[in-house]
Amino acid sequence: MSLTDANLVLHVSNFSVDYGYADEAIRAVTDVSFSLGRSRVLGVAGESGSGKSTLVYGLTRLLRAPGVITAGDVRLRLSGAREGEIIDLLAATEDDLRAIRWSEISIVMQSALNALNPLHKIGKEFDEVLRVHDGRLSKSQRRQRAEELLALVGLQPDRLQRYPHELSGGQRQRVMIALALALRPQLVIMDEPTTALDVVTQREIVSELHELRERLGFALIFITHDLSLLVELADEIMVMYAGRIVERAPALDLYRAPRHPYTLGLMESFPPLSGERVAMTGIPGSPPNLKTPPAGCPFHPRCAYAHDRCRNEMPPLNDIEDGGRSVACWLHDPASPVEVPVSLSRRGDTTPGGVK
Amino acid sequence: MTTRGDIVLDARHLSRTFTARREKGFFKKKYGQRAVDDVSVTLRAGEVLAIVGESGSGKSVLARMLARIVPPTSGELWLNESQIDLSARRGIDYARHVQLVLQDPFAAINPVRGIRHTLERPLLIHGANKGDVVERSRDVLASVSLTPPDDYLERYPHELSGGQLQRVNIARGLAVNPSVLLADEPISMLDVSVRLGVLNLLRELCDTHLLAMMYITHDIASARYIADETAVMYAGQVVERARGTAIMDAPVHPYTQLLINSVPNPDHLARRDSGASEAKASGFNLDGCRFSPRCPQAMDICHGNQPPEFDLGGGHTSRCWLSATDEQRTAVSIATR
Repeated sequence: MSLTDANLVLHVSNFSVDYGYADEAIRAVTDVSFSLGRSRVLGVAGESGSGKSTLVYGLTRLLRAPGVITAGDVRLRLSGAREGEIIDLLAATEDDLRAIRWSEISIVMQSALNALNPLHKIGKEFDEVLRVHDGRLSKSQRRQRAEELLALVGLQPDRLQRYPHELSGGQRQRVMIALALALRPQLVIMDEPTTALDVVTQREIVSELHELRERLGFALIFITHDLSLLVELADEIMVMYAGRIVERAPALDLYRAPRHPYTLGLMESFPPLSGERVAMTGIPGSPPNLKTPPAGCPFHPRCAYAHDRCRNEMPPLNDIEDGGRSVACWLHDPASPVEVPVSLSRRGDTTPGGVK
Repeated sequence: MTTRGDIVLDARHLSRTFTARREKGFFKKKYGQRAVDDVSVTLRAGEVLAIVGESGSGKSVLARMLARIVPPTSGELWLNESQIDLSARRGIDYARHVQLVLQDPFAAINPVRGIRHTLERPLLIHGANKGDVVERSRDVLASVSLTPPDDYLERYPHELSGGQLQRVNIARGLAVNPSVLLADEPISMLDVSVRLGVLNLLRELCDTHLLAMMYITHDIASARYIADETAVMYAGQVVERARGTAIMDAPVHPYTQLLINSVPNPDHLARRDSGASEAKASGFNLDGCRFSPRCPQAMDICHGNQPPEFDLGGGHTSRCWLSATDEQRTAVSIATR
């Protein structure tokens, strides 16, 4: 399989995950393919139940039963001492995985309070990971490295002596980020890392992430339901709905000119902070129950532009407009009986957000 | 008959102190934690008052005091121009007028009873006729756009989506026909795509039933969308309040400015690195302005003197020394000298 381009870190093709078995199975992630370049930021946006968390748990083989990976291929290019080696993540043994976890791929979860052991001081968390993965470091070297890591995220070294409950939510999340970076991984995955924080703290952490990524050069997969946050942070954004990628585009292009009705609806679900106050409608209906997904395009019951084909046939994720972006929507098929509305076509590209 | 704009619930100088124990040191000392400090709010018929604040700012404690679940340490509460005796137990009559809708519908609604039970219970408690109860349940379901109501009455909470269940939660609050609805973060647990629907519903209910509504949120953009008046809380105090969209369009208090600059906004990517976000949390200042340790514009006067609410005209106030005149500041520095 392909991971031929030396600038790619991760390549995923036709990846699917089920929860449960046989007739009871619920398809949580369906046929997801993407690749991630070195030092790039990929944003994954979607509502709860869209499969965004399941996707990354599956990719990193952290999925627990009854989650089952039913199809796909995931390749990771290693760095450091094993530079150039390519590993098949789905075929890897537990030992292989243990060798690459944290040192090649690390994860920051949403709830830092649950991720940190409440009985351990912060220092012990750092000490443990450094000791287990690099036995040559002495105790004082480990301590020094832990202090460096805390400084990286703007925390004082005395925090090492604190317990998690003594830190604020923002500080705990910073500790999690510092821990994730402890072994200099080339790929960091963050699952809603700022959702539980207030906006001021979120802002600080996001600007720190910017700096860290520029200094350390890791690739980042950032999962959130907040599309406007992703636009600021990510190079490229994938929008997921009912377990599938419905649209993928460079961040600013997606924001200024969405092509999928769901992406447009999602953006119009956030009231703006400026301009006239106008009535907004959001998206009618509610997300589908994956036990009984609608036939055809899963979004069609909520879509204003649905036509017969949408109700019967699943639209594939097709490249549009000379590549660069892709969308899974029959509206953009040349044979579509419904004309593409201005807000979803190139003609609408000057709004919102001004000229491209 | 109430008309739009009538004062329904008036809270004057409400404070609430929780007793906490100091853990460090040889002598464990008790000390008071002021969760809400001298907050006055007025809820008017047919209007939405939004309370915006981060977690820990005291906004939920304020709502619970208005619902009389948490008794205030001091202050007055006036309902329909008569003063409430806060030392007495909350009677059933107060609950009929003032209803609270909580954040998480999955936690707020009994999972083992059907929707019918959830809606009928408050009606029976408040003495409705058995015969009227079914009709009234259908009416309130219809008023929160769950139609046809009979499809929902026999269902259980797990059969509904989060958005639908939050509508049931709101319907339960409306069942006894209250004059005040306190909504504590009603949309933050919901899927992004259904939030706006619930917000629109709240606004519509407020307009049609002339409800006096308090909408509590950490999302200042949603406050801008729905509210007639917005108050920003920080560390237990209202730091800025204004009618309409004035707070978002022209924020005066440095905390409000920080809050607004922190909201992700792809249209203003250039603002990302503006100095305001550099402020780091380092505790509250109890002697002076609560925000002064984080404030980029803090002056000497801010650290030792609590600013009062300064009137900026048109109902816009700001609890900040920057809004004071020179005479006002001089008066304070002479008094404290």
